Amino acid sequence: MIETPKMKKSNRTPKKKQPISSPDRVIEPLTPQTSTPTTNLRRSLRLTSASPQPSPAPSRLKSSPRSGRKTSKSYKNAAPHSPTTISITPASPQPTESGKKRKSQDKQAGSIEKRRVLRSDKCTSASNKGKKRVYYRKVIYDGGEFSAGDDVYVKRREDGSSDDEDPEVEECRACFKPAGKRIMIECDDCLNGFHLTCLKPPLKEVPEGDWICNYCEARKSGKILEFPEPPKGKKRARTAREKLLSSDLWAVRIESLWKEVDGSYWCRARWYIIPEETAVGRQPHNLRRELYRTNDFADIEMESIIRHCYVMSPKEFSKAVNDGDDVFLCEYEYDIQWHSFKRIAEIDKNEDDGEGADTDDDWNSCDESDSVSEEDIEYDDESKINLLPQTSPAHPVAANSRKGRIFGLQRIGARKIPEHVRCHKQTDLEKAKATLLLTTLPKSLPCRDKEMDEITTFIKGAICDEQCLGRCLYIHGVPGTGKTMSVLAVMRNLKSEVDAGSIRPYCFVEINGLKLASPENIYSVIYEGLSGHRVGWKKALHFLNERFSDENKRGKDIRPCILLIDELDLLVTRNQSVLYNILDWPNKPNSKLIVIGIANTMDLPEKLLPRISSRMGIQRLCFGPYNYQQLQEIILSRLKGIDAFEKLAIEFASRKVAAVSGDARRALEICRRAAELADYRAKKSPLSSTDGKIMVGMADVESAIKEMFQAPHIQVIRSSSKLSKIFLAAMVHELYKTGMAETTFEKLAMTVSCFCSSNGEMVPGYDTLLKVGCKLGNAEYYCVRLAQGTNCRNCSSTIPGESITKMRLSIRVHAYHRSMAIIYINGGHELHMTLTTNIK
Amino acid sequence: MGCLNPAEQAKIILRSRISTPSFVFSFFSQSPDSNHSKLKYIISSSVTEACNNSVLLLGPRGCGKVAVLEIVLEELLKEHPDMISVIRLNGLLHCDNNCALKEIARQLCLEHHLMFSKMASYDDNSQFLLSMLRECGLAHKTIVFVLDEFDLFTQGKQRLLYSLLDAMQSITSQAVVVGVSCRLDADQLLEKRVRSRFSHRKLLFLPPSREDLQRLVEHILLLPTDSSLPNDYVAAFNAKLLNILADEKFKGIIDTLCYSDSSVGYLLRFLFSAICHMDMNSGFLSVENFKSALPSIQRQPKLEALKDCSVLELYILVCMKRLEVKELELCNFNSIMKEYKSIHDTFQTSDYYARNVCLRAFEHLLERALISFEDNKGHGQSTEFRPVKLLISWHELHQGLKSHRSCPVRSIFQKSKI
Repeated sequence: MIETPKMKKSNRTPKKKQPISSPDRVIEPLTPQTSTPTTNLRRSLRLTSASPQPSPAPSRLKSSPRSGRKTSKSYKNAAPHSPTTISITPASPQPTESGKKRKSQDKQAGSIEKRRVLRSDKCTSASNKGKKRVYYRKVIYDGGEFSAGDDVYVKRREDGSSDDEDPEVEECRACFKPAGKRIMIECDDCLNGFHLTCLKPPLKEVPEGDWICNYCEARKSGKILEFPEPPKGKKRARTAREKLLSSDLWAVRIESLWKEVDGSYWCRARWYIIPEETAVGRQPHNLRRELYRTNDFADIEMESIIRHCYVMSPKEFSKAVNDGDDVFLCEYEYDIQWHSFKRIAEIDKNEDDGEGADTDDDWNSCDESDSVSEEDIEYDDESKINLLPQTSPAHPVAANSRKGRIFGLQRIGARKIPEHVRCHKQTDLEKAKATLLLTTLPKSLPCRDKEMDEITTFIKGAICDEQCLGRCLYIHGVPGTGKTMSVLAVMRNLKSEVDAGSIRPYCFVEINGLKLASPENIYSVIYEGLSGHRVGWKKALHFLNERFSDENKRGKDIRPCILLIDELDLLVTRNQSVLYNILDWPNKPNSKLIVIGIANTMDLPEKLLPRISSRMGIQRLCFGPYNYQQLQEIILSRLKGIDAFEKLAIEFASRKVAAVSGDARRALEICRRAAELADYRAKKSPLSSTDGKIMVGMADVESAIKEMFQAPHIQVIRSSSKLSKIFLAAMVHELYKTGMAETTFEKLAMTVSCFCSSNGEMVPGYDTLLKVGCKLGNAEYYCVRLAQGTNCRNCSSTIPGESITKMRLSIRVHAYHRSMAIIYINGGHELHMTLTTNIK
Repeated sequence: MGCLNPAEQAKIILRSRISTPSFVFSFFSQSPDSNHSKLKYIISSSVTEACNNSVLLLGPRGCGKVAVLEIVLEELLKEHPDMISVIRLNGLLHCDNNCALKEIARQLCLEHHLMFSKMASYDDNSQFLLSMLRECGLAHKTIVFVLDEFDLFTQGKQRLLYSLLDAMQSITSQAVVVGVSCRLDADQLLEKRVRSRFSHRKLLFLPPSREDLQRLVEHILLLPTDSSLPNDYVAAFNAKLLNILADEKFKGIIDTLCYSDSSVGYLLRFLFSAICHMDMNSGFLSVENFKSALPSIQRQPKLEALKDCSVLELYILVCMKRLEVKELELCNFNSIMKEYKSIHDTFQTSDYYARNVCLRAFEHLLERALISFEDNKGHGQSTEFRPVKLLISWHELHQGLKSHRSCPVRSIFQKSKI
């Protein structure tokens, strides 16, 4: 929904009228792009080579160091641009085969479900002879059903004549007969299949865990054991998987499908690559069936597609034990320009799934091929400029500016996939550490059902209400009680309901008050969230006012908008106008705005002006601090199935946190820290390998709690130098002697020298003493304000100890007057004792 | 340079050792209880296990917080090349959120060879930071943020800390925030919501114990046997040094040193000056070197300044002191002159100087910062009329006068003490 207006806008730019194939386009400035923010890297890439014009990009790419296969690919890339050259395209199949396929294609033409047809009246400048492409979502071609997002095998041009037939069924490596009814087993090393009965000795059933065939075992132990030769006259047929892994085939992911003007079917494909073809080659930790997704696209003819294969994420892959031979694993994306790897984000995937609404725009933009093509070339340019910044200094795009972010960040990636990511089997402690991380999203949010229900009913009620007047929810609670998380979880649930069609669609804008540069900036962020344009806050305020409060100027059909403002208290300005504006909009008729505010303080509405609190304080929801049972449940739900913690230890941690703050983050952090301590102990002590398991016990939790909650003053005092101890003691002594909260440095120095001479210590010089005093002040034992000339330091602090009331010592050297400091002292009987004993 | 004699070379070796903190603090890194291995464990676990952490390194100044951190980072950069990028910020330079974010963006760009624009706004930079964290996390790269003088980042709304720590709550990011502070209660300074996101690992850096110091001295001063120095010289040097270290006198010196300040930094400064005192003819260190180094780092600048004062300047100081005792609110050059005159009249001193000479002495005192103007106002006025204050205490003045040779003022001062 965001893309559409942007596309249109850029279409309207005068540049459109320029001849499309002008060669100087390459070095043209990128103005249209710069004004239209593109947020999605993937999408822009997809557009990159969708251009039907002969863009210079692919041929230029050839010059970069690439393997032979890739050059052919770029050749291919250029192929569809000129329909006349189809006969010499490298992808053109064997004549006999193509004939067969053409036939079948004609047959099935009727069964193709049309998705969208280009409206020819739209492309006014279509000088090309009726260049129409018909896009499909799903194509049944040569007996197979292909849709966008599928993974398929693709023929290689020079793919030899020998392997015409493509066995769908894998043969046994020992007896060269297809599987039939007998069960086959796959070697985890060489990936060859064997009948269970053909093995020596034969196996009864598939063993648990990894299994390696005799041949590989023999090879590992240094012997050479040849695979049995196939019987005479019969050539061993290689499966598609074998061909792919020996780079005789390719695998691609279909991004989109269309029919060309001449009736041939094409698709836009994203290449997969096998580890051997990357710059670093196969690494020891690569799995046998591992592929990398590249960021390289090409248009290929449907004829070269062989059949489906299944490329899966690691999670799916681990489940797919029994899914046949065409299963592959893909965890990383490989950048062919930079030869770097990057994990494929899981979020990426979700976006793909949830893109439903957006894809329309994508299709749209592809349809208007002429207008888009212009942009495409520019995209090409821009990315090239980013790739070679030193060659084209005319267009430096800084990475931290808005437009630079899209392309500049591509090049970040690992040169190699680090070994430790795969090689290492996780122990229970490490697993525990990983699930206790704050970042790992739990599958369910325990103990917040009631609150989530309330939020859900609130939002649902607000959306379904035609008017949705004055909808505003204020959520408060101490940090770490799951406020934001609950709201986001509710929004996720609602989103799935929207996808299912049970709720009307809505927009959702999430803002964090602390991440805004200034409170006023919220307007531009909201406006950007709603429309995709970025303007200054004054203008944004104007637009928003128009949208929410001015009836006449509003568009007819506006979706309800949900605004989530985290850390709402940060938006309080002096005249509170920002909050007033935002909270006033929901009350306007037909504004369809719903505001959810989150903050820590319970009484924020009361602190505000009455006109604001009357708008905000009506509906409230309190997230109370967790009690210890709830904390325990949260921790246990995360640690399900991992045996690393003693039960008591968890209870101890949760009770401790519940007593202090009820902050779930704290509780998780304590447990994680405890696990870390245990892990550290296990790794550092040489005995760990023998006695096996180390559990996280009470002692670990205790030390984690200590680390978190205790200030280390006492330890530091104990190990500090004798003179500083004397200095502190003198300070306390002075306090008790005078009963006054302040003393001068001179008096203190006298006391110190008294102490020293009576204890038989060396009497320090004044300058040394001053130095010691400054050093202590630096560590904030007390606060120093040395006003020497203009140089003035002022801060306040305390020493928290075991019992704060007794140990509190806040001494402030308050005015430096003629080399004297006035020191406030507030207490510290026990400290006095410890210090005086320490001195002796 | 030509060839230096072994003593020169030894001196250079020792000096360069003292000035490289990584050498000095590698001494403490062996045992599993050391901060070095703990810190290394924390950072490396977030590199290998893709978790986010935030650590505070606390301790008084001169205990090697940053030095140990640097050693750890260097080792990790070697172990995992191209996987860690370090962003260094200092609270004294970047406590303003805006410029801190800009600096982060600049360093990130530099690290990854991206173009950096100075003009980018706060929003842009924070967006950039977020997307960089994401991209780096996806590429298994860890970003280590080192925030020196952490306590200064806690001023104001703590936007920077909040956005850093909040970004670390997302799945893809992989970062460590290391705060270095000499304020022991630095984590208490954090706002509630920031503190809740902070993961509260704390490492305490303490000044080493007496025995550790002794061993550290050995570690630093013993010459390496595998250097270019002649072997017999090294052997002799080391034997002599071990003798010195075992000496009771030397232990006494170290004790006096630790008495006022037992941090490593202070010890290093002491050793450096001791080495500078090394006798180049014999080519060996001696106890005398250490002994003479001690006063050179425990200087009493005010007493020394007093020692150098002329008699007239001392007169002026005493006059000011007397005025202070009389509890006069303000004094300036004119009132001092009056007092000076009255002293002269009462004690019938022999030396009475003209007013312009006194003014010269007065200005000299101002320059030496033994006295200073009361306030910064009134630059236009001539020095005679601006109010001044005394910057040394009675005690110091007394000591200074006592140590001054043949000072006629002393008796006056004592009489005026009351």
